[in-house]
Amino acid sequence: MRINCPYCGPRPNEEFNVLGDATKTRPDADKATAQDWLDYVYERDNPKGRLEEYWHHASGCRNWLVVKRNTVTHEVYSVVAARDYKKTHPEGVKK
Amino acid sequence: MSDPVFRGGLAGAKAIDGSISVSAIDDRGMIDLRGDIKDKKFVAATKKVLGISLPAQPRQSVNKGEVTALWLSPDQWLITCPRAKGAHLANGLQTALAGIHSLAVDVSDARSIIRLEGQGAKEVLMKGAPVDLLASEYTDGYVRRLRFAELAAMIHVVSSDPEIIDLYVFRSYAQYAWDWLAATSTKQSRLSLFANQSIASV
Ligand SMILES: [Zn+2]
Repeated sequence: MRINCPYCGPRPNEEFNVLGDATKTRPDADKATAQDWLDYVYERDNPKGRLEEYWHHASGCRNWLVVKRNTVTHEVYSVVAARDYKKTHPEGVKK
Repeated sequence: MSDPVFRGGLAGAKAIDGSISVSAIDDRGMIDLRGDIKDKKFVAATKKVLGISLPAQPRQSVNKGEVTALWLSPDQWLITCPRAKGAHLANGLQTALAGIHSLAVDVSDARSIIRLEGQGAKEVLMKGAPVDLLASEYTDGYVRRLRFAELAAMIHVVSSDPEIIDLYVFRSYAQYAWDWLAATSTKQSRLSLFANQSIASV
């Protein structure tokens, strides 16, 4: 699988570390219940198909990226720097 | 006896003369510089001290005289200069950047630089990294970080023709990288897979 880093160009996936699901939003620390934290920290879907993930270009520019990809075909639909993604999705990432 | 003065990860290493030449560069000072390239004050202050404009474009470097700025990420550069001037230049940056959201640290001892020189230098590196270094973008001044022989490393194409490439690794990996290059750059291990080659008669 190759990831097209917006800064470095297409790079092999050995250069990246994956963090996982990019659709989780950190709960409000004042209001969150134990269940909210459990969901945020641990609970993950394991979808067959489209997935939105954070990847870190650890052996490259060391920037966080949001990668939309397909877990079945390994097709990568889009790669955006996380900082830019937040700008274009101020409401947060869709669930 | 302990020796508090670091003398480089490859101090005293004798250059290797195989299919290419491999030598240790231990007279460079290095500064880790971070800041916002869109901040005019940051750009002006760094230019005043370094005498060069930082490369804003990814994977590029800028050189003038003794100072080179290598792009590391959108907000990070590695400045190289003569080793004796590293601390002075880092101090100059810190003073000029006072009050500006930024960082300048003398990291001269953090990395070791190994220079690969001669036709086939790119091929030797390609034995340890899944990268097509013969692609046209790997020309003079190009910088990229990569995984090389399982290490976090960086290459700087000083010159594409003739081939001169500087390989940067963290100093604790310097000996390993050196040994790796020594083993893979022997005359007998030349590949000539990509260059103009004549088929050897058997
Ligand atoms: Zn990158």
